[in-house]
Amino acid sequence: MKLSKIVNKCQLEKIVFCTDCEIENGYCGDLMSDVMAHAEAECIWITIQAHKNSIAVALIKDIKSIVFTNNVTVEKEVIKKAKEEKVNLFRTNKDSFTVCGEIYCLMEAETAKD
Amino acid sequence: MESYYSREKLTLVNELIYEIKVKQAMSKNVIFFNENATFREIQLKLKEKKISGVPILDNKKNIVGIVSIDDIITAFDKGYVDNKITDYRSRDVITVPQNFSVVSAINRLEKFKVGRLPVTESSNSKKIVGIITLSDILNRLLVVVQSIAEKVEDKEIKNTQISHDLIKHIVKKPLRFEVKGDDFNNAGRVASITKKYFQNLGISKDIIRRIAIVCYEAEMNICLHSLGGSMAIEVNDDNNAIIYAYDKGPGIPDVNLALKPGFTTASEKIRALGFGAGMGLPNIKRYADKLEIKSSLRTGTELKAIINLGVKNEIK
Repeated sequence: MKLSKIVNKCQLEKIVFCTDCEIENGYCGDLMSDVMAHAEAECIWITIQAHKNSIAVALIKDIKSIVFTNNVTVEKEVIKKAKEEKVNLFRTNKDSFTVCGEIYCLMEAETAKD
Repeated sequence: MESYYSREKLTLVNELIYEIKVKQAMSKNVIFFNENATFREIQLKLKEKKISGVPILDNKKNIVGIVSIDDIITAFDKGYVDNKITDYRSRDVITVPQNFSVVSAINRLEKFKVGRLPVTESSNSKKIVGIITLSDILNRLLVVVQSIAEKVEDKEIKNTQISHDLIKHIVKKPLRFEVKGDDFNNAGRVASITKKYFQNLGISKDIIRRIAIVCYEAEMNICLHSLGGSMAIEVNDDNNAIIYAYDKGPGIPDVNLALKPGFTTASEKIRALGFGAGMGLPNIKRYADKLEIKSSLRTGTELKAIINLGVKNEIK
């Protein structure tokens, strides 16, 4: 489903929104190696790790969209790097469990329509 | 909603039905009758050829009517099956000009609920040059899609050939990086440069990702656990990417233990950043085709990971 639809429905705060894209799966994880090993390319990644290394991991895995949960502080440096590398960044005050649940339900509903 | 999805997915076919002309899809071999034929003659022909209708043409091949199975059934019903058709056919004839796109033919077939359309020479002519059915259109579409698929295949073969040349060129020029210990700001640098480097070679995305993951984990290991070191990435004559990572110590006391998923010696500070989960070396092992680790508490650690680039050897 469209990233913009997820962002609107889950009321995510747009920190960096470069390009809308099609999202087919997601991954939730705060351990870099775990995300490296298991996240799928082009997925939406839900995490509390809002530092420069998250962008590096996203780039390596071709992840175009990251959602930072628990209202974590996102440093200017991180935003700058995301803009340079065209990675979409979002933030929410909800926790990872809640956001994952919301996105999962949206995606399920979309697949059911197909 | 349903039609919205199918429209989204059928863009190639949608494009093609506008591009392909009726002329390219129609069959030129037209079975027809003139006005002197009887319904019975036509019925026998339809049965023989297993078709459901024929156009009626005058001596200049201009269309004057069409007779379908329905008309023949009516003729049987009303008892004029042995009569000439001249007096009875009265329907307007639906045709399509040969220079129109097949989409017009599809629309007419659907709108008028007919199985075949006589094709005219042009929009202001009645001269018949062919006949078109839905199956003619589907056949033509398949041929065009097939030739597009072949072109894509050709292009892929060309791409691998390009990467062959580039690979030959870079065999002699490995990438080298210095990696500092405890330097989180530059973490991921080796992986992202290496990724871009291999992207230029036209290697499959999946293999590039594996190379990037191995580089990233090796780089993070030097950064998190050692006093600093270096990395080198090169391609050998057998089309393998070889990733070397060296550090100055302190060395891994038990390599087998370090390869165990979940084993970690990382500090609390490192773990809070999402590193040191004890998955670095296991990840490298998982994504490399071959992995060698030598470690000594005196000289440090040497890691060598090999990933096949998946490029077949050139046929000479």
